[in-house]
Amino acid sequence: MMSEKMSFKAGYRSRTVFRLCNGVFMALIVLVVMIPLLKVLSDSLDKTTRYGINLWPQHFSIDAYKTIFTNKNLYTPFLISVLTTVVGTVLGLLITTFGAYVLNQPTLIGRKFFSKFIFITMIFNGGLVPTFLVLKGLGLTNTLGAVLLPASVNVFNMVLMRNFFSQIPNSLFESAEIDGCSPIRIFGQIVLPLSLPALASIGLFFAVQFWNEYFNYVMYITDTNLYNFQVKLRELVLNDQNMMDPSVVGFGNMVKNAAVIVAMLPFLFVYPFAQRYFISGVTLGAVKE
Amino acid sequence: MNTKHRVFASLASVALLASLLSACGKSSDSSSSSSSESSSGTSSSSSAASSESDSVKKPESIKLMVDGTFLLKENGQDIIEKGYEDLYGIDLIINQPAHNEYYEKVDLAFTTGDIPDVLILDNRRYTSYAYNGALYDITDLYEKSEIKNNITDQGLIDAIRLDGRLYGIPGSRGNGTITYVRGDWMKKLGLQAPKNYDEFINMLRKFKNENPSGLAPNEVIPITAAGLVNTEYPLDIYLREFYWTATPDFVKRDGKWVDGMTQDDMKQALQRMHDAYAEGLIDPEIITNKTSTCRDKFNAGKVGAFNYWAGTWNLNLYNNTVPNVPDVEVTPIPSIKETYYIERPAVAVCITSACKNPEGVFKYFLSTLADGKEGQQLWTVGVEGKTYQKEADGSLTFMPTIQDPTKPFTKTWFEPTLLITKWAPNMKYDERITNSLSMFQSNMKIYPLPPYSKALSDYGSELNSIKAQYIANIVFGDYSVEDGIAAYQKEAASYVESILSELNG
Amino acid sequence: MFAAKEKERPPKRSFAYIKNKIYRDRLYYLMFLPVAVMTILFYYLPMVGIRFAFYEYTPFKKEFVGLDNFKELFFGVMSKNFWRAFNNTLFLSIVNLILATIISVVLALLLNDLKSRKIRGGIQTILYLPHFMSWVVVSSIFLIILSPQGGFINNILGFFGTEPIYFMANKKWWVPVYLFICRWKDTGWGTIIYLAALTGLNPELYEAAEIDGAGKFKQALYVTLPGLMTTIITVFVLNLGKVLNIFESVFVLGNDQVKEVSDVISVMAYRIGMKGADYGMGTAIGLFKSVVGLVLVLITDEINKKIRGSSLL
Repeated sequence: MMSEKMSFKAGYRSRTVFRLCNGVFMALIVLVVMIPLLKVLSDSLDKTTRYGINLWPQHFSIDAYKTIFTNKNLYTPFLISVLTTVVGTVLGLLITTFGAYVLNQPTLIGRKFFSKFIFITMIFNGGLVPTFLVLKGLGLTNTLGAVLLPASVNVFNMVLMRNFFSQIPNSLFESAEIDGCSPIRIFGQIVLPLSLPALASIGLFFAVQFWNEYFNYVMYITDTNLYNFQVKLRELVLNDQNMMDPSVVGFGNMVKNAAVIVAMLPFLFVYPFAQRYFISGVTLGAVKE
Repeated sequence: MNTKHRVFASLASVALLASLLSACGKSSDSSSSSSSESSSGTSSSSSAASSESDSVKKPESIKLMVDGTFLLKENGQDIIEKGYEDLYGIDLIINQPAHNEYYEKVDLAFTTGDIPDVLILDNRRYTSYAYNGALYDITDLYEKSEIKNNITDQGLIDAIRLDGRLYGIPGSRGNGTITYVRGDWMKKLGLQAPKNYDEFINMLRKFKNENPSGLAPNEVIPITAAGLVNTEYPLDIYLREFYWTATPDFVKRDGKWVDGMTQDDMKQALQRMHDAYAEGLIDPEIITNKTSTCRDKFNAGKVGAFNYWAGTWNLNLYNNTVPNVPDVEVTPIPSIKETYYIERPAVAVCITSACKNPEGVFKYFLSTLADGKEGQQLWTVGVEGKTYQKEADGSLTFMPTIQDPTKPFTKTWFEPTLLITKWAPNMKYDERITNSLSMFQSNMKIYPLPPYSKALSDYGSELNSIKAQYIANIVFGDYSVEDGIAAYQKEAASYVESILSELNG
Repeated sequence: MFAAKEKERPPKRSFAYIKNKIYRDRLYYLMFLPVAVMTILFYYLPMVGIRFAFYEYTPFKKEFVGLDNFKELFFGVMSKNFWRAFNNTLFLSIVNLILATIISVVLALLLNDLKSRKIRGGIQTILYLPHFMSWVVVSSIFLIILSPQGGFINNILGFFGTEPIYFMANKKWWVPVYLFICRWKDTGWGTIIYLAALTGLNPELYEAAEIDGAGKFKQALYVTLPGLMTTIITVFVLNLGKVLNIFESVFVLGNDQVKEVSDVISVMAYRIGMKGADYGMGTAIGLFKSVVGLVLVLITDEINKKIRGSSLL
């Protein structure tokens, strides 16, 4: 839409200066963010344990990563993480889009009530013990359901999603309604395809939420075979940090740092994937047709 | 689409109804059961005394709740479970929550009525659970049992008696921390192990000023610790050379409970810590240290003295430092004459008052922790051919772990070097381990259990957090000792009053 | 045409109209059913537990005590700690929220201005990675970076002849350092929602602005920002409802020396409710947090309604 080249022609000069500043600024921010990450990466590849900031390994070794991907006690949690993240994200998106779509119907009787009904759960909660008792009553404790189901209702995401839906021009719905489309067809054929950026970003929110979860695992699940990678990682870090008892066997510093890296790894690829859907003008194109 | 939705709707509403009913039923029933259990806690001991020990019924299964000190599931816990069943024909059901959330899960278990038969409890929880009637009183069973004769030091048992009653037995000693010094530095500087505070401070000064390893002057950390006060009970376990007899906790002096924080010896201790900190003898970062940062600094060869667990850790510290400092010596020193090391009362293995067959569980489980034979063998070294093997000379060695084949097991539940019985597995240990342990044990006092009062359990954690704050503020020089303690007294007055009036009333 | 259709219907608010409308919208209600069921099961049923705020509730006891827990918190032995924690919480988390909003929006605008999608994606990916580090790890790294003994920052300061500063245990420095670490960890993550919202803006508006001779800055001010406003306000108000919940960041970054400025309500609730197993008091603190959150949201939403004419709730 805007053809701009690096040029110092009059009019473009200030823009070019801005571009340059922006570039330098971005590089600086990336650097600030990278340094701590590099430290962890370097420590994960370094056989000698050192104290302080070391951005390059002294005795290079990838043993720690080998351990993570060959040791059943470490790769099983990783697989659980992947599984719960995928299932949780799909489930979460389903619930969120359903809820957001209904809440976005301005004339629906009871909409205001529904909206408040949902919102209250963001503010008020019963606390640990009652939640535990309810999950136990539903037979969900000690199953992955305790981690997947409650967390897939997320008010924050639902309100954001409704917000995105509300930006879809009303004329689209009206014409579809006139054409006799059922709400579910409008939802599937108009709303969802037009909300790809929203689906991508909120899907990402869910994915991260399920990926980073540890509290619900620790509290509602006792079978350690069901623990995900974050729980394992936390154990590695905390047991090491507060080790009183020499016999709480740890994997050592290297594996700990490698685990921190591995916990981030999948999302190196997820964002570029999600970003493909951040295409501007989807909504508008549809209106023009 | 329509029918699908209807099916889902009806399913969902059925599920909802069912869950409403079941959730209500469960919660009310658990609360009633836990209250009845607590009331029966004291009465059950009398029935135990009258019953004959021969007629003890063997339990079919025992529910055990343990933390990460027990062999982990991923590291072959089923070997121990199976080993126990082979020995006694009892199904051992182990509930092992994540190590760091163990006590939260124990509290949750008692709140929601999921109470195990046997569990381990640290000092604070042991006291409060016992006083709340949640534990079965084993005094009489213990007095009549054979294991009493096996236990070498009755002082270890007496240390966990509450008003003379016993609610659990330890599987191993509580152990404590000893001061490790860089022996190679002492040698280079021509120093002997310090005998009193002045010599100790002098040693730290020399570490700092003459930096024997040739480190940059500001790189040497003469003494480090994971905080000025410990976050767990006992609070004054680190920096013994500075605390002497002082403690920030409540303490009985001349038959009366007082707030240790405001006593004269605590004020003097704070002055010592303040002076040493200001002089740069104490790790500047002591307040944000974790035990892992202390270890990392020690392993990097920067630390002169470090108060850490006696026994196995002597060897571990050495092994982890040697790659960085080839001539390192990790030397434990006897306590200086002004003070002593602290041994925690042991972690107790307790039978809950919810247990249906406490006599049976005592006989077939608790007794095995000190039976001087196959039971202890299982709880320390495990199962032959699975966790340990016999060498040609008859001694035992650990086999490689399942989790990490490059490392051998170190124990299955209780550390073989810390047993409380005459019996011990026939194993050979590095002399660093045995050395530091025997030095610790001849220089320590066993700490008393914490007192119990309702106000203390309500306010204890908040008050300790206030204490830790003022100790830090004073040592860092925000206040003089007098002003700091005065400010503390003002802020903590209402807490301290309500706790002391209960303890002394 | 729509207006004509409207006339044929019975008047609004009449029973027949409502019945008719609900019947016509039955599919919407059906779609909402799974949401409602799950909300009731996992959120409303446990809310029965809010009553424990009025109980003495420990592993050994469950007894109604009326307002005792609140009296204790507001006026009792713990009140001084409680109100200090309350002030700290409000201050830390509202400043944090405002900073988060401003920095994330600005960064999203700057990122959006990068023309190469590949570079933008690359930068964005790096920026959001810290979000995947747990707070425990983040704190251990920053303790080393900010260490007064040869830490990265102090080495740089030392180069300019400044005495080493113990940032984490300095009451003046702790707050800015805390806010910085929070931004380090979550800024990249926070931009995502705005980047997604930016894609929904109408490119024609930019073209029109450009024809009018508006520069980049003016475009951002008059086209982009107004377009993002709904999202900004939504995110802000929703976060305001959770403003008293900050926990883990403070829990791992705070310490005894800076407790005056770092102790917050959730950490206090954790000490009492989780570590101390005083569930009654824990729930009471939780309920207090909820009420404050609710009040904050209602106030901001009311302001929002006055200015923009639409409510979020």
